[in-house]
Amino acid sequence: MLLAPLVARLRSIVGVEGVIDRPEALLVYECDGYTLERAAPEVVVLPRTPAEVASALRLLAAERIAFVPRGAGTGLSGGTLPVGAPVMICTSRMQRIEAIDVANRRVVAQAGVVNQWVSNAVRAHGLCYAPDPSSQPACTIGGNVAENSGGPHTLKYGVTTNHVLGVELALPSGELVALGGAVEDRPGYDLVGLVVGSEGTFGIVTRATLRLVRLPQAYRTFLAVFDSVEAASEAVSGIIGAGLVPAALEMMDQLIIQALEAAFHVGLPTDAQAVLLIELDGPVAGLDAQSQRVEAVCRSNGARELRVARDDAERATLWKCRKRAFGAIGRLAPNYCTQDGVVPRTRVPDILRAIGAAAARHRLRVANVFHAGDGNIHPILLFDERDRDEVARVLAAGREILEACVALGGSITGEHGIGVEKIDQVPLLFGPDDLRAMMRLRAVFDPEGRANPHKIFPDAKVCVETRAPRRQVAL
Amino acid sequence: MSAWAEIVGATHARPGGPGDAVDGLVPRWVVSPGSVAEVQGCVRAAAAGGLALVASGRGAHLDVGAPPRRLDVLLRLDRLGRVLDHQAHDMTVTLEAGCPLSLVADTLARAGQWLPLDPPRPATTTVGGLLAANLAGPLRTSQGRARDLLLGIRVVGSDGCVVVGGGRVVKNVAGYDLPKMHVGALGTLGVIVEATFKIRPRPEREEAVVVACPTASAAADAGLAILDGGVPPLWLEVTGPGELAEGPGCGAAAVVGLGGLVEEVDAGRELVREAASRRGLRTTIVSDGAALRGRLADFSVAPAAGVLRAATLPTEVGPVVETTVAAARETGVDVRCLADLASGIVRIAVAEATALPVLLKILRPALERDGGSVVLERSQGAVKAGLDVWGDPGPGMELMRRLKVTFDPSGIFAPGRFVGGL
Repeated sequence: MLLAPLVARLRSIVGVEGVIDRPEALLVYECDGYTLERAAPEVVVLPRTPAEVASALRLLAAERIAFVPRGAGTGLSGGTLPVGAPVMICTSRMQRIEAIDVANRRVVAQAGVVNQWVSNAVRAHGLCYAPDPSSQPACTIGGNVAENSGGPHTLKYGVTTNHVLGVELALPSGELVALGGAVEDRPGYDLVGLVVGSEGTFGIVTRATLRLVRLPQAYRTFLAVFDSVEAASEAVSGIIGAGLVPAALEMMDQLIIQALEAAFHVGLPTDAQAVLLIELDGPVAGLDAQSQRVEAVCRSNGARELRVARDDAERATLWKCRKRAFGAIGRLAPNYCTQDGVVPRTRVPDILRAIGAAAARHRLRVANVFHAGDGNIHPILLFDERDRDEVARVLAAGREILEACVALGGSITGEHGIGVEKIDQVPLLFGPDDLRAMMRLRAVFDPEGRANPHKIFPDAKVCVETRAPRRQVAL
Repeated sequence: MSAWAEIVGATHARPGGPGDAVDGLVPRWVVSPGSVAEVQGCVRAAAAGGLALVASGRGAHLDVGAPPRRLDVLLRLDRLGRVLDHQAHDMTVTLEAGCPLSLVADTLARAGQWLPLDPPRPATTTVGGLLAANLAGPLRTSQGRARDLLLGIRVVGSDGCVVVGGGRVVKNVAGYDLPKMHVGALGTLGVIVEATFKIRPRPEREEAVVVACPTASAAADAGLAILDGGVPPLWLEVTGPGELAEGPGCGAAAVVGLGGLVEEVDAGRELVREAASRRGLRTTIVSDGAALRGRLADFSVAPAAGVLRAATLPTEVGPVVETTVAAARETGVDVRCLADLASGIVRIAVAEATALPVLLKILRPALERDGGSVVLERSQGAVKAGLDVWGDPGPGMELMRRLKVTFDPSGIFAPGRFVGGL
């Protein structure tokens, strides 16, 4: 238990309403988008400014208390689960877009600014912030930086790290340090590149300088319908092989198609085995020629139907289906767990077979909606959390799917992060020397290991501490 | 000598000579390992003996960076020169550190692909050097830098262990982004031995349009308007007065590279012409855009006493070039300027060494005040003596110091070559 005086001092920094410590109010913070494991913090602190974050961290530093950063809590790997960290620092009240430089295509946003707000704020100038995770109406820039978030349009535009020019980081010592900035190529090590994707284990990102991109002149958005997952996968390879770089290349399987149709009634073919959502963007001039190539590849790979969005409204409908796919899953089962793995894109058919086999082995239903162009799979494992045996089978199937990804030359996470969820799979990718290097790197920023402890690394000591509470809360 | 011969074989270890000097410092030995295990052996031997080691590919870019404080071993990696794995359909390529970019280009071209990084001297630039010196050329405008294309890396650390970061897939957030640590670190944190990149389809056509402009500011303005148009250029450089024979003659120019399908190039050409004619500017079409781009990429290695690299915001590129040209005129020195407009990078080739400190003193304080920088990117070692090659790395310096101490505690990797004497 934290001492009452400490909580009082936190209140004096962030205001009375900025500290939450009533047990019933803390329930909101006991998990993020990864719901299989839960643990509430002892106290949640909601600073209003970067300076307040720094003050709170200085206080915690003096008492050597560990903390866990959190944005909107949309993460999918349990990165904000408080494990051995009594204090949660939540950036959601730091919502200011501090500067917009249209001519240089830069934005400075506080950590709690919602991803979508950035694009909304600059759309009138013909600009947008490219990384667009499915949670973009809710997820925050701080969280995006911590997780190096992706999204459907990363195939052409890259992920968060390609769009962050600078960050202000509150180190666990309470020191605020500005790294990088609006001007590129500051001499020195690429500390910004190291902070992006560090999952809150280096400190708390309080501000970020983001690069904006020009909105494309035009889009061509297709829905291609296939009678087999293999044919759809071949079409994906064919499109890439034809020298095209679509803005997005997404696949959805039959279970998702059926759920989406039940939810949105947009006329998706519920008997299809797979559909591809393909988007080209860029100058009007080249789009017709590229569209013809896409159509030819789809047809030659057996697409039985090819729809083209005729206007912005139809495009919006197609994307609504893709981005709300996770919402539609609610119709299929009380709970679901979204896995995140990567394979070389030519191995998509193999991993889909492996997913199907794992599902059959563990008697689970699995839906697939994913970034096929990147080889970034997202099998959604359906379950009922009241069924403890089913939960155990979900965890086992998830592990097997990730092992299959690695066996195919891929990775255990493309955009969700390790968090707590994938700690046990990290050794599939990295050996002791690699992990030691990463832990040394962490110590450069956080020598005492107080920033989001017990995440990412399968440390032997940690297992003893985390396993018991994890099992307890999880199953 | 025999110790090195034992590790790499007698024919691959020799005493250093004047031709091996790094910024004037002659290494005691030049050692060329033929495998990752031999690199590990060399690093362990250097660590055991407290020796300073500078890694090099074919020596094409050793003029980048501050002079090393000490130099015992020049570690030549050109024997590690293979393309290890090209997965055309997965759009990835895995390369040994000593692999020259020209070989990479030839390999990928067979599949209609490229690694869109175009530093100077591609025939002698190796993958390791590309990464360590964070080299880029005009393509950076649309394709990003090495950091944006690098997927995975293998590095020999100061303890001789091989550390893996990232992977071979195009999207991956497992663990920290260790590859980023070594990009632009100039070999001060380890020896890069292997790298995997994301590759892209090579544009079917590439041409360039030269917009002749009265001043660099006018060229920058025209360039910004073109960048804001509906057809993104493949690259866009702003040249100072007298830099190009094509088009501007003795004036400045905005040089716009267009790439993609025929239709896209046609549309881009029209857009550039319109933007130019609105301003009353003349355009010249250069049909071999790639060749012109290659010449522009070589700007920083053309004969000069030194090349400064100023970084600023894109909207400040014009004013920075004008300030530079004016200052040079005042001091009576010849300078040539070339800017990557979208990235805000201005390169200044200076004819006389004595002018370098003068220009640094004029340009650096103002640029650094606004978060920019001026680096002495290239010059001979003797010129660098007494100059601050890197300038102020900013508030991250303390973390950088800790990073260096953590990964190279005894200072064997290129000591003194990097920012703040690291």
